[in-house]
Amino acid sequence: MKHIGEVVESSTKGFIARSPRVGESPAFGTFVRTDTEYPVYGLVYEIITGSKEPGRKPTTYDMSIAELRREQPQIFELLKTEFHVLTLAYRDTDSTRFTLSPIPPPIHSFVYECSDDEKIELSTEDFFLRSIVSSSNVPVDDLIVSSLYNAQVVRKDDAHYMVRMGKSLSRFFRDDYERLSSILRRVL
Amino acid sequence: MCVIFSSAVLNLHVLKSQIDTMIEERKDFADELAAKIELAKSELKHKSDNWEELSHKVENSKTSWLVAGISSPLNSASPLPVRPPCYTAISSDGSQIFPDRHQALPCYLLNISSVTLTYGENGEAFLGSDPTLYYSDEDRFATWGGKKVPADAEIISLKRTLMEFERILTLAKENEARENVIALCDGTLILWRLEAAPPDFRDKAMEPFIRVMDRLRDLRIPILGYISFPGSTDVINALRVGLCPEKISLCNQCPYTDLPELPCSPIEGLTDRFLFSTILKPGEASPVFKSSSKILDTYGDHHIHFFYINIGEEIARIEIPEWVALDSELLACVHTLIFDQAKKGKGYPVSIAEAHEQAVVKGKDRDFFFDLVREVLVKSDVKVSVSRKGLSKRVPGV
Repeated sequence: MKHIGEVVESSTKGFIARSPRVGESPAFGTFVRTDTEYPVYGLVYEIITGSKEPGRKPTTYDMSIAELRREQPQIFELLKTEFHVLTLAYRDTDSTRFTLSPIPPPIHSFVYECSDDEKIELSTEDFFLRSIVSSSNVPVDDLIVSSLYNAQVVRKDDAHYMVRMGKSLSRFFRDDYERLSSILRRVL
Repeated sequence: MCVIFSSAVLNLHVLKSQIDTMIEERKDFADELAAKIELAKSELKHKSDNWEELSHKVENSKTSWLVAGISSPLNSASPLPVRPPCYTAISSDGSQIFPDRHQALPCYLLNISSVTLTYGENGEAFLGSDPTLYYSDEDRFATWGGKKVPADAEIISLKRTLMEFERILTLAKENEARENVIALCDGTLILWRLEAAPPDFRDKAMEPFIRVMDRLRDLRIPILGYISFPGSTDVINALRVGLCPEKISLCNQCPYTDLPELPCSPIEGLTDRFLFSTILKPGEASPVFKSSSKILDTYGDHHIHFFYINIGEEIARIEIPEWVALDSELLACVHTLIFDQAKKGKGYPVSIAEAHEQAVVKGKDRDFFFDLVREVLVKSDVKVSVSRKGLSKRVPGV
């Protein structure tokens, strides 16, 4: 399996990875993991494409992407796509631990999309939802909607699972009915 | 207590009045320039009708200035040839960190870039650069007139230029199977600085350059030097030879020095760029002229010729070796592709601009480089000292 990113910035709460090709990042809300000795699991919550050089800004060319590839091929070498990952869990020698990794993933580790089994394991309990809700600087509500959608896709629409997660959300947002209702309407 | 603030920055108040005076004087110059351009233009037209005569006079004259060799009517403008749908532009540029005697160890760095841009259905780009550190005696000293001298900024810059040509050859070989490959350099192909160098140094520098040119000719990959906003006056100087009433102009025997104005001076001060900006429409190129630089006597088959082109935003000077100038197919290829490159780069050839961007070593990279050298020295337990002047510049106190 080909990696989908390489870690270029790493911290305890999350990491940033660069996509091998411009514009080819995993989708928002994708469950990903690193290929490190103790893999770190997380959710993609931000995708940014821009100039590699801080002093250079993309300019307009008035051409389609196909035309740009034919007539201005260098610009694709001057742009980068990076995605930000919120850490949910890590893999210890024998089990997955639903907490922050004691050591963040090393810089230059490869990042892969999680397998279906890993996605199911990461989303079986509501820990991932709790991690999202308690994070600052991430689009909490949209990340809940997207990650729950992805969790449900690998389960092939398990209604019982959705009821269980819905109950968890109602506990997290018991003081904010409007917000809960907005999330649930988008999930179902 | 009275505190007088004295700033260490530029005194802008003093400078402003000087700028105002300069602009005022330039205003008069603009009117004068317009009159000179009109005169040069009519001379160009006049001399085009019997250009062979002027060509002959230029060849036999001895002037103190560089004069363009003429082999076609001066005011002809070649229309832009059709661009091939697929082509590849290769380019290289370099930058350096010069040796700093205030630093811990005497060494310097050259960073040479590689740019390959392929256009068309299989459009792709390769951009990169390779730094090399030079510290051995062989690299830090050069033989100059039989003497061993430390490599100064000029010698290092020349080494860099030669490395850029070598890199272009490497890229040319990598891309020889592709169609319509063109090599672009920033600036002149005339290594005129070598004119002042002693023969041992000059020959050593010319040898690799000629070897690169030979290989490019064998590969039939045209190379060009691109000069933006050129200040050259070779064609104007040819017209000045035309204005000289003498049959053959010999400046050192000029019989008109007692006159208030020399017969050749009414168009003095104009550049070729001014002249051709009134003649060439966007995309059009001037005739090809032969450069008369002294150093070109050592170029053999690669004597440099040049033409001017209106690339839309400005008039640029394009320098090419003789084998490109005499090959109409390669010349048309250079004409159309340099225009396309400049158009893609919004007024400046995109491959040359990217080669520069890839090569450039910024101030903070330079500081980082010297910090790294010091760090490794300390780790290796090598005792070094840094000059107090160097330290004072890095950490100015209050």
